[in-house]
Amino acid sequence: MINYFKRNISLTIGLGLLIFLILFTLHGLLTVEFKQAYPLAVRPKQPPSLKYLFGTDFFGRDLYTAMVVGVWQTAIIGLLAGAAGTIIGIVLGFISAYFSGLVDVVIKFICQILTPIPAFLIQVVIASSIDKRDVTIITMAVVVFLLSWMAPTLVIRSQVLSMRERQFVAVAKLSGMNSLEIIFKEIFPNLLPFIAAAFVAQVFQAVFASFYLAVIGLGPLREPLLGNTIWAAQSQSAFFNGWWWWPVGPSVAMILILGSLALINMGLDEMANPRIRNKE
Amino acid sequence: MKISKLSIALLAITTAFTMLTTSLFAGGHSLAKVPREQTLVLGWSITSPIGVTNPFASTGYTHQEANNLMWEGLSYFGIFNDEEIPWLADSMEYTKSDYTQLTIKLNAMAQWSDGTPVTSKDVVFTFESQKNNNKLPYHANFKQFVDKVTAVDDKTVVVDFKMPAPRFKFQVLTLKFDTGIPIVPAHVLSKVDNVNEYEGGNDMPHSGPYNLVLWDANQKIYDLNTDWWAVKAGRISMPEVKRVVMFNIGGQVGQGMDVVAQRVVNNEFDATLDMRSSVIGNILRQNSKVTTHSADKPPYGYLDWWPNSLWVNTQLEPYSDARVRRAMSLLINRELINEIIYEGAGIATIYPFPLYPGLEKFANSAAVKKLEAELQPGLYDPDKSAELMKAAGFTMNGDDLWEKDGKTVGAVINGFEGIHSDIVPVLVEMLRNGGIDADINFGTDAYQNMADGKAGLYMFGHGASLKDPYTALELFHSRYSAALGTTAGSNRFSRYSNPEYDKLLDEMAPLGGDDPRFQELAAQALGIYWRDQIDIPVIQWLHRIPYNQTYWTNWPTIANPSLGMNGAFWAHTGMLVVSTLKSAK
Amino acid sequence: MFVIKRLLFVLLVVWSASTITFFIPRISDINPIRERFAELARLGGFSAGELEKIVESYSKAFGLDKPLMQQYFDYIGGVMTLDFGVSLNKFPKTVLMLIAESLPWTIGLILVTTILSFVIGNLVGALAAWPLSPKWVRGVSTSFILFQGVPPVLLAILLIFFVAFKLNILPIAGAYSIGTVPDFTFEFLLDVARHQILPGIALIFGSLGTWVLSMRGMGITIQGEDYVIFAEHKGLSSYTIFKDYYLRNALLPQVTALALALGNVITSAIVVETIFGLPGLGFVLITAIRSNDFLVIYGIVLFITIAVAVLMALVELLYPLLDPRVRQGQE
Repeated sequence: MINYFKRNISLTIGLGLLIFLILFTLHGLLTVEFKQAYPLAVRPKQPPSLKYLFGTDFFGRDLYTAMVVGVWQTAIIGLLAGAAGTIIGIVLGFISAYFSGLVDVVIKFICQILTPIPAFLIQVVIASSIDKRDVTIITMAVVVFLLSWMAPTLVIRSQVLSMRERQFVAVAKLSGMNSLEIIFKEIFPNLLPFIAAAFVAQVFQAVFASFYLAVIGLGPLREPLLGNTIWAAQSQSAFFNGWWWWPVGPSVAMILILGSLALINMGLDEMANPRIRNKE
Repeated sequence: MKISKLSIALLAITTAFTMLTTSLFAGGHSLAKVPREQTLVLGWSITSPIGVTNPFASTGYTHQEANNLMWEGLSYFGIFNDEEIPWLADSMEYTKSDYTQLTIKLNAMAQWSDGTPVTSKDVVFTFESQKNNNKLPYHANFKQFVDKVTAVDDKTVVVDFKMPAPRFKFQVLTLKFDTGIPIVPAHVLSKVDNVNEYEGGNDMPHSGPYNLVLWDANQKIYDLNTDWWAVKAGRISMPEVKRVVMFNIGGQVGQGMDVVAQRVVNNEFDATLDMRSSVIGNILRQNSKVTTHSADKPPYGYLDWWPNSLWVNTQLEPYSDARVRRAMSLLINRELINEIIYEGAGIATIYPFPLYPGLEKFANSAAVKKLEAELQPGLYDPDKSAELMKAAGFTMNGDDLWEKDGKTVGAVINGFEGIHSDIVPVLVEMLRNGGIDADINFGTDAYQNMADGKAGLYMFGHGASLKDPYTALELFHSRYSAALGTTAGSNRFSRYSNPEYDKLLDEMAPLGGDDPRFQELAAQALGIYWRDQIDIPVIQWLHRIPYNQTYWTNWPTIANPSLGMNGAFWAHTGMLVVSTLKSAK
Repeated sequence: MFVIKRLLFVLLVVWSASTITFFIPRISDINPIRERFAELARLGGFSAGELEKIVESYSKAFGLDKPLMQQYFDYIGGVMTLDFGVSLNKFPKTVLMLIAESLPWTIGLILVTTILSFVIGNLVGALAAWPLSPKWVRGVSTSFILFQGVPPVLLAILLIFFVAFKLNILPIAGAYSIGTVPDFTFEFLLDVARHQILPGIALIFGSLGTWVLSMRGMGITIQGEDYVIFAEHKGLSSYTIFKDYYLRNALLPQVTALALALGNVITSAIVVETIFGLPGLGFVLITAIRSNDFLVIYGIVLFITIAVAVLMALVELLYPLLDPRVRQGQE
């Protein structure tokens, strides 16, 4: 096990980063006062110090607290949208591969047609059309997920199809297992690395998309979501006014989150596709 | 290495292609070169459709995007000198003592840029069009007041009113801030089939000092008309600004201002739209050549005419209860607002009008001061607020929010991101701290919510009074108390209705602002505004415009009031600001 | 036959995209025309007047009073003939005119940055996987993958602050200097190029990571292929093997990925353009979104969708020309 992690460096670093972020957030969630992530809680415009680790913003938010809550909310969006996208992908992928025929053609066709449509543009249209009172962390996740389930569907579908042709499935068939049994006992376990990789990719996409939406001011404005904080800093001209710590903190956090997800994704790829495995 | 060669070739081809198409699309213009020190560069978000310069074009004409350099009014108003500046008209006087007739005498030299003189025909055409064409912005005013318009001779026009119209001359015929009508050329527009659809373009004959020579997605360029009538008529000396470039800073007004601010520091812009209070201070610190209306002292600007309230929909539960409105007002800590957002400058207000000379006198009158002491409209007192909420039938729930029949006060404040992103989050938090379930909506539907009365709270200004409080107080007259779901006309979002209040306003309408009876009634009406908390006044509106003196001096400031106009180059009086600048070189 | 199939596919993509864009904004009952007048009212263009009447007459003029289905069919009919209607906000400009005006800026930016990031990213990715490259080269090039975690928007914001504000060596924003009149002169082109540097860097580095990652994966896969092993045994120089056998074969699938990535590239370009105030498609789109200029929003979204779909189809059609194996497979 340890040897494997030694070999799969990107997975190790990625997981390490992720664990660090989780610990940071958990520790924060247990110790901070949530109220301080909202305006008028502390002295405004203070640079980072021992008292305010990441400084405070124009509105009197403690940016350390805002970061803890923001990472937490980002995680919720990522996990929700990622899970939803992956589950839909698994279900549709299996249905498509299992039933084949017309169902398969239709599902595959819909996925292919929706794929070239730039999802972000549609997300922007949706996010700017819904009533702003309804923009919450949850609706953000829904908006992000709506156009992102096609990729996992296609991946799972093709993997199931290729596995159906493999030897162990043929053996299982000969030994009298029925199709459902084959799916859950034989195919599913072998698919796990792919599902994990698809899930991580989905989370990455969701975090990325929700971040973009928030940065251009389409997020739930009162919440200290990382993108929102950068948006707020931008709209109060933080850099020009010399409050550099305001946008820099959430930027670094976002880079760490996306970076760790990218590394994990790469590591999982290596795991799922042994040929890519590093030769060292 | 084939692939790299291929990519280099591709790169070269695309670069060439881009440059070619760009210059094809944008190019083809050849303008005389004007040196930077004779050019005035203004930063603004240009949103109107390219080519629309005709003031009667109804989609998209605005005077704000330097079209005010083309179109002039009968007279202007210098707000800080509190005096009229005669322009196309030498005089404009009420010729009946009950304000039912107005006589306008035009300047003999006034002429259009094509050489045709400006005559009473043009004035009559302008007025008649406003009266008969319901797509023009002052149609309602003309329909309500104007009986007939007569050209007595070439340079004299008489307007007869249906009823006393003591404010018509100032409100409608005098250009100031963003209100009033410019005079348009009858010999051009009378030949046009549909004046609302005629764009105007670069060459429409106009009376103002600058000609539009180029307009693309990036900028509008105006060159001086050295044949301008106003110089010959002795109204003003020849402007020193040879070229005006209005550069499109893009986006919604007020966004991405740090980039704009930096470009002022770098002397790229000579003036821009107004800035947030923290930004303007930093501009002054980084470039000593930049100044403001109040020089280098807070509040770094001048009072605009648009004091902002938290408007309350008085027909919507639970805001229909005056106690709830009052309770919310008691949660607003105006001193804290001054401290946090405005670096201690006294911006928070308790009035629905700006404190210009005439209005300040009214606000300081004994009657108003007495009411203020009695009603305490600016009081911050959470305990008292809690009492009122309890009296209104609310109980505190587990989340520390007031609740009645299982519902919290869902107070979403609708506002505009570009101009309210500093104040509204602070208000939301103040309300939340007092148990009101507040939130923000800066969406594109914000205005719709205000106009339809779907939501309860709106951050918006009172663009009304300049000299006396009548027009500001009239915003709350019952005649605008539209039912929910119908449109609250002309930004009157309160939907407030009170016969007692209407009676006061109706009696004030025909009286001049200086009439003692008018002052008495106005004080009573203001008392009702405070007592019923029709809306919750929050802040005065300031224009903090950076004036860069690297290339141009003589900007209107406190120390140098010039003609008394405000420094906004986008207001109607912006033409006077630009025409009176002096070269620094 | 294949060509017709691809064309039909493109049509279907466009139809579904236009259906989505048509119906989504109607979930909310925003009246775009009223918002437009409201904006004017807010800025002080109207102090009085019968707003509602004006709104009504314009709604009629823009066909917003017709039944939804009729609006929908009119709209789809328009889209199929590339007629996206007129802009509410910049009336009487048509949406197509707005697109045509802004398109050169966007195409220029996207083409140059995409090609550069594709070339750099794939080279770095190949080096990261090439077993013969020195260890430090592999380390450094692999670490480029981390750029995946840096959204171009963040890069843009940081570049503006550090390079344009603090160092003041490159223009902060805009497509060319203020007061310059666009002209086909060397001076003007140089000015334009200078203004493209920062947005270009933001976009190149923002999309580099993806290429490095996928090329590295591709490269590792190819190492085991027979022809590479064969070349090694033939005793060809490692440089020749690298470029002729290894790079070339690994690059082919990347070309397909390029078409797929276009959607993402455009997304980033749109936001970066807005941040730098470049008058391209993204800038027009964001302005339209902020002012509820529906037809412009649909028009641009559809235009981009059509462009991506067509490009993807083109790549699929041209791919056999690049990779002989595929061609044989098809015949």
